[in-house]
Amino acid sequence: MTTIHLQRANFWGGVITVLTILLALLWAFPLYWGVISSLKPEDEVVRPYIELWPETLTFSHYTTAIYDTQIVTWYINSIAVAVGVTVITIATSMLCGYALSQLKFPGRKALWWLILASFMVPTQALIINHFVLTSQLGLINTWAGIMLPQLIHPVIIIVYKQFFDQVPKDFREAAVMDNAGEFRILFKVYLPMNWGVTTALSIVTFIWTWNAFLWPFLSVTKTEMMTVPVGITQVNDAFGVYYARQLAAAVLAGLPVAVAYLLFQRKVTEAITLSAGIKG
Amino acid sequence: MLTNRRKDALVAAVLVAPFLAIYLLVFVWPTIQMFGISFTDAPLIGSGEWVGLDNYTRLDTDPRFRTAAWNTAYFVLLTVLPGTIVALLIALGVSRLKGRLQAAILALFFLPYILPVSVVYLIWDWVLNFQFGILMHVLDLLGLDRIPIMKTRDWFMPAVGVVTIWWTAGFSILLFLAGLRAIPPEIYEAAALDNAGRWTTFRRITWPLLWPVTSLVFTIQLIAQLKIFDQVYLFSQGGRPNDNMVLVYYVFQRAFQQDQGGRAAAVAVTLFVLVVVVSVLQFQLLRLAGGRK
Amino acid sequence: MTVRGMLKTAIVATIGFAGVAQAEETVVWWDFLGGGDGVRMKKMIEDFNTAHSGAIKIDATTLEWGTPFYAKVQTSAAVGEAPDIMTYHASRIPLAVKQGVLQELTADDWTAMGLSSADFAPATWDAVTMEGKQYAVPLDTHPIVLYYNKDLLEKAGMLDETGKPKGLDSRDGFTATLQALKDSGVKFPLGSVTADGNFMFRTIYSLMGQQNGALMTDGEFLAGDNGAKLANALGVLADWTKAGLQSTYTDYPATVALFTSGEAAMMINGVWEVPTMTDLNAQGKLFNWGAVELPVIFDKPATYADSHAFAIPANQGKEMPAAKRAAVLEVMSWMSKNSLFWATAGHIPANGAVVASPDYIAMEPNATYSSLTANMIFDPKSPLAGVAGPIFDVMSTYFVPTLNGEMDPAEAVESIKEELNAL
Repeated sequence: MTTIHLQRANFWGGVITVLTILLALLWAFPLYWGVISSLKPEDEVVRPYIELWPETLTFSHYTTAIYDTQIVTWYINSIAVAVGVTVITIATSMLCGYALSQLKFPGRKALWWLILASFMVPTQALIINHFVLTSQLGLINTWAGIMLPQLIHPVIIIVYKQFFDQVPKDFREAAVMDNAGEFRILFKVYLPMNWGVTTALSIVTFIWTWNAFLWPFLSVTKTEMMTVPVGITQVNDAFGVYYARQLAAAVLAGLPVAVAYLLFQRKVTEAITLSAGIKG
Repeated sequence: MLTNRRKDALVAAVLVAPFLAIYLLVFVWPTIQMFGISFTDAPLIGSGEWVGLDNYTRLDTDPRFRTAAWNTAYFVLLTVLPGTIVALLIALGVSRLKGRLQAAILALFFLPYILPVSVVYLIWDWVLNFQFGILMHVLDLLGLDRIPIMKTRDWFMPAVGVVTIWWTAGFSILLFLAGLRAIPPEIYEAAALDNAGRWTTFRRITWPLLWPVTSLVFTIQLIAQLKIFDQVYLFSQGGRPNDNMVLVYYVFQRAFQQDQGGRAAAVAVTLFVLVVVVSVLQFQLLRLAGGRK
Repeated sequence: MTVRGMLKTAIVATIGFAGVAQAEETVVWWDFLGGGDGVRMKKMIEDFNTAHSGAIKIDATTLEWGTPFYAKVQTSAAVGEAPDIMTYHASRIPLAVKQGVLQELTADDWTAMGLSSADFAPATWDAVTMEGKQYAVPLDTHPIVLYYNKDLLEKAGMLDETGKPKGLDSRDGFTATLQALKDSGVKFPLGSVTADGNFMFRTIYSLMGQQNGALMTDGEFLAGDNGAKLANALGVLADWTKAGLQSTYTDYPATVALFTSGEAAMMINGVWEVPTMTDLNAQGKLFNWGAVELPVIFDKPATYADSHAFAIPANQGKEMPAAKRAAVLEVMSWMSKNSLFWATAGHIPANGAVVASPDYIAMEPNATYSSLTANMIFDPKSPLAGVAGPIFDVMSTYFVPTLNGEMDPAEAVESIKEELNAL
């Protein structure tokens, strides 16, 4: 390879790098703008020119959002629902994935196809009957009601099955020789070998549930039972011009997940790719 | 041996039961029910009279259903392929970076994805606000006319498409990056020795090796975007929801705003069938396309 | 009075007035009152709770106005999760009764509240009555008015000697005022909520009323020349847009912000924005402002009005205990009788005694626009009418394109007619 060729490649490579970085900054700009606007007084946000930094920095919208709305209650609801869904989904999927991977039983193939096929089912189409069901069970306006239709994530079973499939057969045979029961094998051998997968899958399930909008929006009619994403758009408080205050509520709603992501970036990245069936 | 197998089946039943119970309760049963009430004039809660295919035949002449179907298709067109391309380009750019810089740049692209849709809505509604939005100030500076983006029929869907790509691209970028990392560097080194240009390298090596990921991203996007509701609902508030109607929104409007469970279910069934058919078709098509390579 | 009625009255008396040591009754309350309305209602609720300390406590929540509120009410009533009391638009009562969302208020209830038809104007009483039965206690009447920035009008030479805008008597006159404002450098002579067809229904319906037009005659929509009258009404606003005299694609908060920041010189909006102005003015953050009855664009003055009322939801599968119901009745009664403070939110109280009080008569700016009470028109009494009802829904779809110059008024009217008659 000639030197000139190499230089030209370096030049264009540099251009692409610079463009990527510029695009990234532009990409994140709306987030910056949302945060900055929430730190300005209301009469400042509607000024007819661009003001990249507040003239008067104020945190009053945050105190208003925290004290005058029920955002704290919504946080508690969101956390309870997200934790509940995560624990139940991971537990049931893990058991089912293990059975599919390690045991021979009648109907195994059928179950596998059922799970694969459910990828195609749009849960959004089922909202009417989810509402009817939840109401019949008396679970409207309860954490359990918000959780119920969110408990199925077939992809998690599939990922578990794939990982359990990869555990060398020797482990299982050795355990069976020791007369260990299936539960012991699962919890003492297979699960510890796949802790990373469990953490990753828990992270994605948590994010999915935390961000869910449509179902929590439909199944809750009382403000004190709303989750954060629903609450900040459905409840209006008594103020005239309220752009900055709304943005403050938005920042409060987005902050926990954003911070969690920045702290555990590598783990989240791994979790997301895993949830699409790709091993990162 | 025989006892062993029976024991296996028993254990399996116990392991599978919790999942299966939930699956039947929140997947199978509601699906059956949905088909059932779509043939009645039931309200949201309560039962109704059997009306046969009425709820379906009237969809044919229902202008709002037509708007909803068209907008849904339009939205898919606007987001699925463009979203995949944008994510691929960004992934190619990011994959050139190293270490902490890569992590930082990737974080900027990925952050929107982990935000709840309502946060995305509030931020963009503010950016695009016709009177005070920063984008309008930029247009003013460029000497262009302001555009009431979320308030006109022509701009609404494209704008929601852009916001959706902005919001969800992070996910696809991660998948593409994982795919790019999986390509052995030796192949690129060999190409470099052959003096292959940037484009040739991409076309001959990267693209074919990345194909499984590309088709995966495409599939995930397609199925997700057919089910669009949240963004359209939020951005239409205080505006013109009937012009921006999409299928899930129409189900919501009929069932939860107009208390017509039966008519809503007919729309839901249509959507259901549509998604299943599209998924199957697409699966076959991508398999064919992949097989040709 | 029946035995049951007496019993109820007795319960109200015990709870409401004697304040006997008894379990405090919590009344779950939903409203959709934002802006200055919200601030004032919160104060009234606090006052109520203080006055009934230990006996009744209102637990209030404010939800997003309009479609979101009514969708929540409807679904929650269907599953027995509705509140004990809620604010309701009188215009929507026919629809609510048809859907079975509201409980009837019986003669005993009215006796218990110490209110009767004699306390309300006939039109207001009629607005909460369906087939001889009452479904809500009217709190107020709230028309729309024209807000104006006196400083800007004065600069443009368009303020008359009484401090009102010139040209309020004709289409040409008012258009000339708008044009003069434009020429004096005002960005938006008129701020209108042009992005929200639901909102514009009020202005357009007023303009139809000014031509003696009706939306519904003998169950048919826009029959005869009513279609042409709607087209006229839309035409006026569309022309203002074309001439650059009106803000386009403006949503509700933006309209208020344009007016309060001085970018729009006038604004057509509900009286409920009066407190926003009063409060800003008190903080020294607002110009000199005023509010008057809508200009007479056509043949005679007419202004659209609706009424906020209190209603009890019909919770499916749940019977409201007598003690709870008595507490709810006491809330409604108290709110009606103490609605003078509510008038500071710009509204005209529904309770006749309050309107007749000297305090109310002296209240500004209510006094300036009180003349319009004679010219108020209400929604057609149909289950299709009302805030976020089917008529609102259909019309709003076509208003936005028409008011912003995307669609021809005549074409819009044709489509509206077709869709409405297909309902």
